[in-house]
Amino acid sequence: MVALVSVSLLTITVDYREGNNGPLASLGRVALTVISPLQEVMSKVTHPVGNFFSTLVRLPAIRAENERLKNHVAELESQVATGATDEQRLHELEGLLEVTQSLGPNVRTTAAQVIASGVSNFEWTITINKGSNQGIKLDLPVVASGKRLVGHVIRVAPDSSIVQLIVDPDSAVAGRLAISRTTGLLTGQGDRDMRMGLVDTSIEVQAGEQVVTAGYRIPGGAQSLYPPGILIGTVSHVVPDVAALEKFITVAPAVDFSSLDIVLVVLSGGPR
Amino acid sequence: MRRFLTLAAVIVTALLLQTTVFADVRLLGARPELMYLLTIVFAMLEGPSSGAITGFAGGMAQDFLLNQPKGITALTLTLLGYAVGLLRQYVVSPSPVLPVFVVAGGTFCGVLFYGLVSFLLGQFNSNALYLFRVAALSAVYNAILTPLVYPVLRRAAEASRSQRVVRW
Repeated sequence: MVALVSVSLLTITVDYREGNNGPLASLGRVALTVISPLQEVMSKVTHPVGNFFSTLVRLPAIRAENERLKNHVAELESQVATGATDEQRLHELEGLLEVTQSLGPNVRTTAAQVIASGVSNFEWTITINKGSNQGIKLDLPVVASGKRLVGHVIRVAPDSSIVQLIVDPDSAVAGRLAISRTTGLLTGQGDRDMRMGLVDTSIEVQAGEQVVTAGYRIPGGAQSLYPPGILIGTVSHVVPDVAALEKFITVAPAVDFSSLDIVLVVLSGGPR
Repeated sequence: MRRFLTLAAVIVTALLLQTTVFADVRLLGARPELMYLLTIVFAMLEGPSSGAITGFAGGMAQDFLLNQPKGITALTLTLLGYAVGLLRQYVVSPSPVLPVFVVAGGTFCGVLFYGLVSFLLGQFNSNALYLFRVAALSAVYNAILTPLVYPVLRRAAEASRSQRVVRW
Protein backbone atom coordinates (compact mmCIF):
# COMPACT_ATOMS: atom_id res chain seq x y z
CA MET A 1 0.00 0.00 0.00
CA VAL A 2 2.65 2.50 1.10
CA ALA A 3 4.86 1.28 -1.71
CA LEU A 4 2.13 1.76 -4.31
CA VAL A 5 1.37 5.27 -3.09
CA SER A 6 5.05 6.19 -3.17
CA VAL A 7 5.41 4.80 -6.68
CA SER A 8 2.40 6.88 -7.78
CA LEU A 9 3.85 10.00 -6.22
CA LEU A 10 7.25 9.29 -7.75
CA THR A 11 5.67 8.81 -11.17
CA ILE A 12 3.79 12.08 -10.91
CA THR A 13 6.96 13.92 -9.90
CA VAL A 14 9.16 12.38 -12.58
CA ASP A 15 6.62 12.90 -15.35
CA TYR A 16 5.80 16.41 -14.21
CA ARG A 17 9.45 17.39 -14.41
CA GLU A 18 10.36 15.52 -17.58
CA GLY A 19 7.45 16.75 -19.66
CA ASN A 20 7.16 15.30 -23.13
CA ASN A 21 10.67 13.87 -23.51
CA GLY A 22 11.15 11.63 -20.48
CA PRO A 23 11.10 7.86 -20.30
CA LEU A 24 7.52 7.90 -19.03
CA ALA A 25 6.32 9.78 -22.08
CA SER A 26 7.78 7.08 -24.31
CA LEU A 27 6.07 4.47 -22.16
CA GLY A 28 2.88 6.41 -22.86
CA ARG A 29 3.53 6.08 -26.58
CA VAL A 30 4.01 2.33 -26.13
CA ALA A 31 0.66 2.15 -24.34
CA LEU A 32 -0.98 4.05 -27.19
CA THR A 33 0.58 1.71 -29.74
CA VAL A 34 -0.69 -1.33 -27.91
CA ILE A 35 -4.20 -0.14 -27.25
CA SER A 36 -5.06 1.61 -30.52
CA PRO A 37 -5.48 -1.50 -32.72
CA LEU A 38 -7.77 -2.92 -30.06
CA GLN A 39 -9.69 0.34 -29.96
CA GLU A 40 -10.06 0.29 -33.72
CA VAL A 41 -11.58 -3.19 -33.68
CA MET A 42 -13.68 -2.34 -30.67
CA SER A 43 -15.14 0.82 -32.15
CA LYS A 44 -15.92 -1.02 -35.39
CA VAL A 45 -17.84 -3.61 -33.41
CA THR A 46 -19.42 -1.43 -30.77
CA HIS A 47 -20.25 1.71 -32.69
CA PRO A 48 -23.61 0.26 -33.78
CA VAL A 49 -24.23 -0.91 -30.21
CA GLY A 50 -23.35 2.50 -28.83
CA ASN A 51 -25.61 4.11 -31.40
CA PHE A 52 -28.39 1.79 -30.31
CA PHE A 53 -28.12 2.81 -26.67
CA SER A 54 -27.73 6.50 -27.35
CA THR A 55 -30.79 6.15 -29.57
CA LEU A 56 -32.71 4.73 -26.61
CA VAL A 57 -31.82 7.77 -24.54
CA ARG A 58 -33.02 10.14 -27.24
CA LEU A 59 -36.17 8.14 -27.99
CA PRO A 60 -38.78 10.88 -27.34
CA ALA A 61 -36.98 13.35 -29.57
CA ILE A 62 -36.58 10.67 -32.19
CA ARG A 63 -40.29 9.86 -32.14
CA ALA A 64 -41.12 13.47 -32.93
CA GLU A 65 -38.48 13.52 -35.61
CA ASN A 66 -39.86 10.29 -37.06
CA GLU A 67 -43.27 11.90 -37.39
CA ARG A 68 -41.77 14.88 -39.15
CA LEU A 69 -39.64 12.74 -41.42
CA LYS A 70 -42.58 10.56 -42.41
CA ASN A 71 -44.38 13.64 -43.67
CA HIS A 72 -41.24 14.65 -45.45
CA VAL A 73 -40.93 11.24 -47.11
CA ALA A 74 -44.49 11.43 -48.32
CA GLU A 75 -43.67 14.75 -49.92
CA LEU A 76 -40.52 13.51 -51.49
CA GLU A 77 -41.90 10.25 -52.80
CA SER A 78 -43.37 12.11 -55.71
CA GLN A 79 -39.94 13.28 -56.74
CA VAL A 80 -38.11 9.96 -56.72
CA ALA A 81 -34.38 10.39 -56.73
CA THR A 82 -32.19 7.60 -57.99
CA GLY A 83 -28.70 7.10 -56.71
CA ALA A 84 -29.25 9.35 -53.74
CA THR A 85 -26.78 7.55 -51.53
CA ASP A 86 -24.07 7.63 -54.18
CA GLU A 87 -24.65 11.30 -54.52
CA GLN A 88 -24.37 11.79 -50.79
CA ARG A 89 -21.10 9.92 -50.56
CA LEU A 90 -19.79 11.90 -53.48
CA HIS A 91 -20.88 15.03 -51.68
CA GLU A 92 -18.95 14.05 -48.56
CA LEU A 93 -15.78 13.28 -50.48
CA GLU A 94 -16.15 16.45 -52.49
CA GLY A 95 -16.38 18.28 -49.20
CA LEU A 96 -13.05 16.85 -48.08
CA LEU A 97 -11.49 17.50 -51.49
CA GLU A 98 -12.69 21.06 -51.37
CA VAL A 99 -10.95 21.51 -48.04
CA THR A 100 -7.73 20.18 -49.50
CA GLN A 101 -7.93 22.51 -52.49
CA SER A 102 -8.98 25.58 -50.57
CA LEU A 103 -5.96 25.26 -48.30
CA GLY A 104 -3.71 26.00 -51.27
CA PRO A 105 -1.69 24.02 -53.81
CA ASN A 106 1.30 23.34 -51.58
CA VAL A 107 -0.65 21.85 -48.71
CA ARG A 108 -0.50 18.11 -48.22
CA THR A 109 -3.23 16.46 -46.21
CA THR A 110 -4.13 12.94 -45.21
CA ALA A 111 -7.53 11.57 -44.25
CA ALA A 112 -7.78 9.57 -41.03
CA GLN A 113 -10.49 7.62 -39.30
CA VAL A 114 -11.54 8.43 -35.73
CA ILE A 115 -11.17 5.22 -33.72
CA ALA A 116 -11.75 6.26 -30.11
CA SER A 117 -12.32 9.23 -27.86
CA GLY A 118 -10.61 10.35 -24.66
CA VAL A 119 -10.63 8.20 -21.55
CA SER A 120 -11.48 10.83 -18.97
CA ASN A 121 -14.28 13.28 -18.28
CA PHE A 122 -11.77 16.10 -18.03
CA GLU A 123 -10.14 15.78 -21.44
CA TRP A 124 -11.60 16.26 -24.88
CA THR A 125 -9.50 14.22 -27.29
CA ILE A 126 -9.94 11.72 -30.10
CA THR A 127 -7.66 8.93 -31.34
CA ILE A 128 -7.12 8.63 -35.10
CA ASN A 129 -5.76 5.65 -37.02
CA LYS A 130 -2.71 7.35 -38.54
CA GLY A 131 0.63 7.98 -36.86
CA SER A 132 4.28 8.73 -37.48
CA ASN A 133 4.48 5.99 -40.14
CA GLN A 134 1.98 8.01 -42.20
CA GLY A 135 3.80 11.29 -41.62
CA ILE A 136 1.81 12.58 -38.66
CA LYS A 137 3.81 14.87 -36.38
CA LEU A 138 3.16 16.79 -33.19
CA ASP A 139 1.05 19.98 -33.43
CA LEU A 140 -0.31 19.31 -36.92
CA PRO A 141 -3.75 20.86 -37.43
CA VAL A 142 -6.80 18.62 -37.95
CA VAL A 143 -9.92 19.70 -39.87
CA ALA A 144 -13.26 18.15 -40.81
CA SER A 145 -15.17 18.37 -44.09
CA GLY A 146 -16.58 21.80 -44.80
CA LYS A 147 -13.25 23.30 -43.70
CA ARG A 148 -14.20 23.22 -40.05
CA LEU A 149 -11.52 23.15 -37.36
CA VAL A 150 -11.23 20.05 -35.15
CA GLY A 151 -7.99 20.49 -33.20
CA HIS A 152 -4.32 19.55 -33.28
CA VAL A 153 -2.17 16.47 -32.73
CA ILE A 154 -0.76 16.20 -29.21
CA ARG A 155 0.65 12.66 -29.16
CA VAL A 156 1.96 10.39 -31.88
CA ALA A 157 2.49 6.62 -31.95
CA PRO A 158 3.66 4.66 -35.04
CA ASP A 159 0.17 3.94 -36.35
CA SER A 160 -2.13 6.14 -34.33
CA SER A 161 -2.20 9.54 -32.69
CA ILE A 162 -4.22 11.58 -30.23
CA VAL A 163 -5.84 14.85 -31.29
CA GLN A 164 -6.77 17.51 -28.77
CA LEU A 165 -10.14 19.03 -29.69
CA ILE A 166 -10.58 22.80 -29.68
CA VAL A 167 -13.17 22.45 -26.88
CA ASP A 168 -10.56 21.00 -24.50
CA PRO A 169 -9.89 23.43 -21.63
CA ASP A 170 -6.16 23.25 -22.48
CA SER A 171 -6.77 24.37 -26.06
CA ALA A 172 -6.46 27.99 -27.21
CA VAL A 173 -6.97 29.15 -30.80
CA ALA A 174 -6.48 32.59 -32.31
CA GLY A 175 -9.79 33.41 -34.00
CA ARG A 176 -11.04 36.20 -36.25
CA LEU A 177 -14.60 37.48 -36.33
CA ALA A 178 -15.84 37.30 -39.92
CA ILE A 179 -17.60 40.67 -40.12
CA SER A 180 -15.60 42.99 -37.90
CA ARG A 181 -12.27 41.24 -38.75
CA THR A 182 -11.25 41.57 -35.11
CA THR A 183 -9.12 38.86 -33.58
CA GLY A 184 -9.50 37.19 -30.21
CA LEU A 185 -8.43 34.10 -28.33
CA LEU A 186 -10.79 31.12 -28.15
CA THR A 187 -10.38 28.80 -25.19
CA GLY A 188 -12.21 25.51 -24.80
CA GLN A 189 -14.72 24.99 -22.02
CA GLY A 190 -15.53 21.32 -22.52
CA ASP A 191 -19.19 20.64 -23.08
CA ARG A 192 -20.10 24.29 -22.99
CA ASP A 193 -19.50 26.71 -25.85
CA MET A 194 -15.99 28.06 -26.29
CA ARG A 195 -15.13 31.40 -24.77
CA MET A 196 -13.67 34.13 -26.95
CA GLY A 197 -11.52 36.54 -25.03
CA LEU A 198 -9.35 39.59 -25.68
CA VAL A 199 -11.96 41.27 -27.89
CA ASP A 200 -12.28 45.03 -27.57
CA THR A 201 -15.54 46.25 -26.01
CA SER A 202 -15.99 48.92 -28.68
CA ILE A 203 -16.42 46.29 -31.39
CA GLU A 204 -19.97 45.48 -32.46
CA VAL A 205 -20.54 41.69 -32.34
CA GLN A 206 -23.79 39.92 -33.20
CA ALA A 207 -24.87 36.39 -32.30
CA GLY A 208 -24.61 34.19 -35.39
CA GLU A 209 -21.43 35.82 -36.66
CA GLN A 210 -18.87 33.31 -37.90
CA VAL A 211 -15.43 32.91 -36.36
CA VAL A 212 -12.50 31.63 -38.43
CA THR A 213 -8.89 30.90 -37.51
CA ALA A 214 -6.50 33.83 -37.67
CA GLY A 215 -3.15 32.75 -39.04
CA TYR A 216 -0.24 34.83 -37.83
CA ARG A 217 3.52 34.83 -38.06
CA ILE A 218 5.83 36.85 -35.91
CA PRO A 219 8.96 37.51 -37.97
CA GLY A 220 11.70 35.21 -36.79
CA GLY A 221 9.47 33.87 -34.05
CA ALA A 222 6.31 32.01 -33.34
CA GLN A 223 3.67 31.26 -35.91
CA SER A 224 0.12 30.06 -35.48
CA LEU A 225 -0.58 26.36 -35.23
CA TYR A 226 -3.52 26.56 -37.63
CA PRO A 227 -3.71 27.86 -41.20
CA PRO A 228 -5.89 30.99 -41.56
CA GLY A 229 -9.50 30.98 -42.68
CA ILE A 230 -10.71 27.69 -41.20
CA LEU A 231 -14.18 27.86 -39.68
CA ILE A 232 -14.16 27.50 -35.90
CA GLY A 233 -17.81 28.17 -35.11
CA THR A 234 -20.49 30.82 -34.77
CA VAL A 235 -21.00 33.36 -32.01
CA SER A 236 -23.75 32.04 -29.76
CA HIS A 237 -23.90 34.66 -27.05
CA VAL A 238 -22.63 38.15 -26.41
CA VAL A 239 -22.93 39.53 -22.90
CA PRO A 240 -23.33 43.30 -23.02
CA ASP A 241 -21.10 44.65 -20.30
CA VAL A 242 -20.04 48.24 -20.64
CA ALA A 243 -17.79 48.21 -17.60
CA ALA A 244 -15.63 45.24 -18.58
CA LEU A 245 -12.30 45.59 -20.36
CA GLU A 246 -13.07 42.89 -22.87
CA LYS A 247 -16.23 41.52 -24.40
CA PHE A 248 -17.67 38.25 -23.08
CA ILE A 249 -18.40 36.18 -26.16
CA THR A 250 -19.22 32.48 -26.40
CA VAL A 251 -18.75 30.58 -29.64
CA ALA A 252 -20.52 27.34 -30.58
CA PRO A 253 -18.07 25.03 -32.42
CA ALA A 254 -18.94 24.24 -36.04
CA VAL A 255 -18.13 20.55 -35.60
CA ASP A 256 -20.31 18.08 -33.71
CA PHE A 257 -17.46 16.26 -31.99
CA SER A 258 -19.57 13.29 -30.94
CA SER A 259 -20.27 12.27 -34.54
CA LEU A 260 -16.83 12.75 -36.10
CA ASP A 261 -15.94 9.91 -38.44
CA ILE A 262 -13.26 10.97 -40.93
CA VAL A 263 -10.93 13.92 -40.43
CA LEU A 264 -8.17 15.53 -42.46
CA VAL A 265 -4.71 16.08 -41.00
CA VAL A 266 -2.88 18.98 -42.62
CA LEU A 267 0.61 17.58 -43.07
CA SER A 268 2.65 20.49 -44.38
CA GLY A 269 3.08 23.48 -46.60
CA GLY A 270 0.92 26.44 -47.46
CA PRO A 271 0.76 29.77 -45.70
CA ARG A 272 0.49 29.42 -41.98
CA MET B 1 -0.17 -15.78 -12.70
CA ARG B 2 -3.81 -16.50 -13.28
CA ARG B 3 -4.70 -13.58 -11.05
CA PHE B 4 -2.42 -11.30 -12.98
CA LEU B 5 -3.94 -12.31 -16.32
CA THR B 6 -7.48 -11.84 -15.04
CA LEU B 7 -6.64 -8.39 -13.72
CA ALA B 8 -4.95 -7.39 -16.99
CA ALA B 9 -7.89 -8.63 -19.08
CA VAL B 10 -10.42 -6.81 -16.91
CA ILE B 11 -8.44 -3.55 -17.01
CA VAL B 12 -7.93 -3.61 -20.80
CA THR B 13 -11.61 -4.39 -21.34
CA ALA B 14 -12.61 -1.50 -19.10
CA LEU B 15 -10.30 0.90 -20.95
CA LEU B 16 -11.64 -0.18 -24.33
CA LEU B 17 -15.26 0.15 -23.24
CA GLN B 18 -14.53 3.53 -21.69
CA THR B 19 -13.01 4.97 -24.89
CA THR B 20 -15.40 3.47 -27.43
CA VAL B 21 -18.88 2.47 -26.27
CA PHE B 22 -19.22 4.92 -23.39
CA ALA B 23 -17.87 7.76 -25.48
CA ASP B 24 -21.18 7.51 -27.35
CA VAL B 25 -23.46 6.57 -24.48
CA ARG B 26 -23.31 9.48 -22.07
CA LEU B 27 -25.44 10.50 -19.13
CA LEU B 28 -26.11 14.25 -19.44
CA GLY B 29 -22.75 14.69 -21.12
CA ALA B 30 -20.70 12.65 -18.64
CA ARG B 31 -19.34 9.19 -19.14
CA PRO B 32 -18.91 6.59 -16.42
CA GLU B 33 -15.56 6.06 -14.71
CA LEU B 34 -15.16 2.33 -15.28
CA MET B 35 -11.74 2.18 -13.65
CA TYR B 36 -13.18 3.62 -10.42
CA LEU B 37 -16.05 1.15 -10.58
CA LEU B 38 -13.64 -1.73 -11.11
CA THR B 39 -11.39 -0.70 -8.22
CA ILE B 40 -14.27 -0.27 -5.78
CA VAL B 41 -15.87 -3.60 -6.66
CA PHE B 42 -12.58 -5.51 -6.38
CA ALA B 43 -11.84 -3.78 -3.08
CA MET B 44 -15.24 -4.83 -1.74
CA LEU B 45 -14.78 -8.42 -2.86
CA GLU B 46 -11.12 -8.96 -2.00
CA GLY B 47 -10.20 -6.49 0.72
CA PRO B 48 -7.89 -3.49 1.05
CA SER B 49 -4.62 -4.83 -0.34
CA SER B 50 -6.20 -6.29 -3.47
CA GLY B 51 -8.20 -3.11 -3.86
CA ALA B 52 -5.04 -1.02 -3.69
CA ILE B 53 -3.24 -3.23 -6.22
CA THR B 54 -6.19 -3.19 -8.64
CA GLY B 55 -6.48 0.56 -8.28
CA PHE B 56 -2.78 1.09 -8.87
CA ALA B 57 -2.66 -1.13 -11.98
CA GLY B 58 -5.87 0.23 -13.47
CA GLY B 59 -4.98 3.83 -12.65
CA MET B 60 -1.52 3.50 -14.19
CA ALA B 61 -3.01 1.97 -17.35
CA GLN B 62 -5.47 4.84 -17.66
CA ASP B 63 -2.81 7.46 -16.90
CA PHE B 64 -0.77 6.39 -19.90
CA LEU B 65 -3.65 7.33 -22.18
CA LEU B 66 -4.12 10.75 -20.61
CA ASN B 67 -2.42 14.03 -21.38
CA GLN B 68 -1.63 14.67 -17.71
CA PRO B 69 1.31 13.97 -15.44
CA LYS B 70 1.13 10.21 -15.18
CA GLY B 71 0.34 8.77 -11.77
CA ILE B 72 -2.53 10.97 -10.62
CA THR B 73 -5.19 8.39 -11.42
CA ALA B 74 -2.96 5.65 -10.00
CA LEU B 75 -2.59 7.54 -6.72
CA THR B 76 -6.31 8.25 -6.54
CA LEU B 77 -7.34 4.69 -7.24
CA THR B 78 -4.72 3.11 -4.93
CA LEU B 79 -6.06 5.15 -2.03
CA LEU B 80 -9.66 4.57 -3.09
CA GLY B 81 -9.19 0.80 -3.34
CA TYR B 82 -7.51 0.68 0.04
CA ALA B 83 -10.13 2.89 1.71
CA VAL B 84 -13.09 0.97 0.31
CA GLY B 85 -11.52 -2.36 1.23
CA LEU B 86 -10.91 -1.13 4.76
CA LEU B 87 -14.41 0.30 5.08
CA ARG B 88 -15.96 -2.93 3.87
CA GLN B 89 -14.55 -4.85 6.83
CA TYR B 90 -16.54 -2.72 9.24
CA VAL B 91 -19.84 -2.91 7.38
CA VAL B 92 -21.91 -5.98 8.14
CA SER B 93 -24.89 -5.56 5.88
CA PRO B 94 -26.09 -8.45 3.77
CA SER B 95 -28.07 -6.05 1.61
CA PRO B 96 -27.63 -6.70 -2.12
CA VAL B 97 -27.92 -3.01 -2.92
CA LEU B 98 -24.94 -2.15 -0.71
CA PRO B 99 -22.44 -2.28 -3.63
CA VAL B 100 -24.52 0.27 -5.54
CA PHE B 101 -24.24 2.82 -2.74
CA VAL B 102 -20.58 2.10 -2.04
CA VAL B 103 -19.78 2.51 -5.74
CA ALA B 104 -21.70 5.77 -5.95
CA GLY B 105 -20.05 7.24 -2.84
CA GLY B 106 -16.60 5.92 -3.75
CA THR B 107 -16.74 7.27 -7.29
CA PHE B 108 -17.92 10.66 -6.10
CA CYS B 109 -15.10 10.98 -3.55
CA GLY B 110 -12.54 9.52 -5.96
CA VAL B 111 -13.31 11.95 -8.78
CA LEU B 112 -13.21 14.88 -6.34
CA PHE B 113 -9.84 13.69 -5.04
CA TYR B 114 -8.54 13.36 -8.60
CA GLY B 115 -9.70 16.89 -9.36
CA LEU B 116 -8.03 18.16 -6.20
CA VAL B 117 -4.67 16.54 -6.97
CA SER B 118 -4.62 17.78 -10.57
CA PHE B 119 -5.62 21.23 -9.31
CA LEU B 120 -2.69 21.21 -6.89
CA LEU B 121 -0.40 20.31 -9.80
CA GLY B 122 -1.81 23.19 -11.84
CA GLN B 123 -3.27 20.79 -14.38
CA PHE B 124 -6.94 21.44 -13.74
CA ASN B 125 -8.51 23.90 -16.14
CA SER B 126 -12.22 23.44 -15.56
CA ASN B 127 -14.04 25.13 -12.71
CA ALA B 128 -15.14 23.59 -9.41
CA LEU B 129 -18.78 23.48 -10.48
CA TYR B 130 -17.91 21.29 -13.44
CA LEU B 131 -15.85 19.02 -11.20
CA PHE B 132 -18.79 18.51 -8.83
CA ARG B 133 -21.13 17.93 -11.76
CA VAL B 134 -18.87 15.30 -13.30
CA ALA B 135 -18.27 13.65 -9.92
CA ALA B 136 -22.02 13.43 -9.27
CA LEU B 137 -22.96 12.30 -12.78
CA SER B 138 -20.25 9.66 -13.08
CA ALA B 139 -21.15 8.43 -9.58
CA VAL B 140 -24.77 8.00 -10.66
CA TYR B 141 -23.71 6.39 -13.94
CA ASN B 142 -21.36 3.98 -12.15
CA ALA B 143 -24.13 3.14 -9.69
CA ILE B 144 -26.46 2.31 -12.57
CA LEU B 145 -23.80 0.06 -14.11
CA THR B 146 -23.00 -1.72 -10.83
CA PRO B 147 -25.82 -4.31 -10.95
CA LEU B 148 -24.65 -5.29 -14.44
CA VAL B 149 -20.93 -5.36 -13.73
CA TYR B 150 -20.83 -6.65 -10.15
CA PRO B 151 -21.78 -10.29 -10.90
CA VAL B 152 -19.28 -10.46 -13.77
CA LEU B 153 -16.46 -9.07 -11.66
CA ARG B 154 -17.34 -11.34 -8.74
CA ARG B 155 -17.05 -14.34 -11.04
CA ALA B 156 -13.73 -13.10 -12.36
CA ALA B 157 -12.43 -12.52 -8.84
CA GLU B 158 -13.56 -15.94 -7.62
CA ALA B 159 -12.13 -17.75 -10.63
CA SER B 160 -8.79 -16.04 -10.17
CA ARG B 161 -8.45 -16.93 -6.50
CA SER B 162 -5.77 -19.41 -5.59
CA GLN B 163 -7.12 -22.94 -5.93
CA ARG B 164 -4.70 -24.43 -3.41
CA VAL B 165 -7.20 -24.69 -0.60
CA VAL B 166 -6.20 -27.28 1.99
CA ARG B 167 -9.22 -29.27 3.09
CA TRP B 168 -9.21 -31.70 5.99
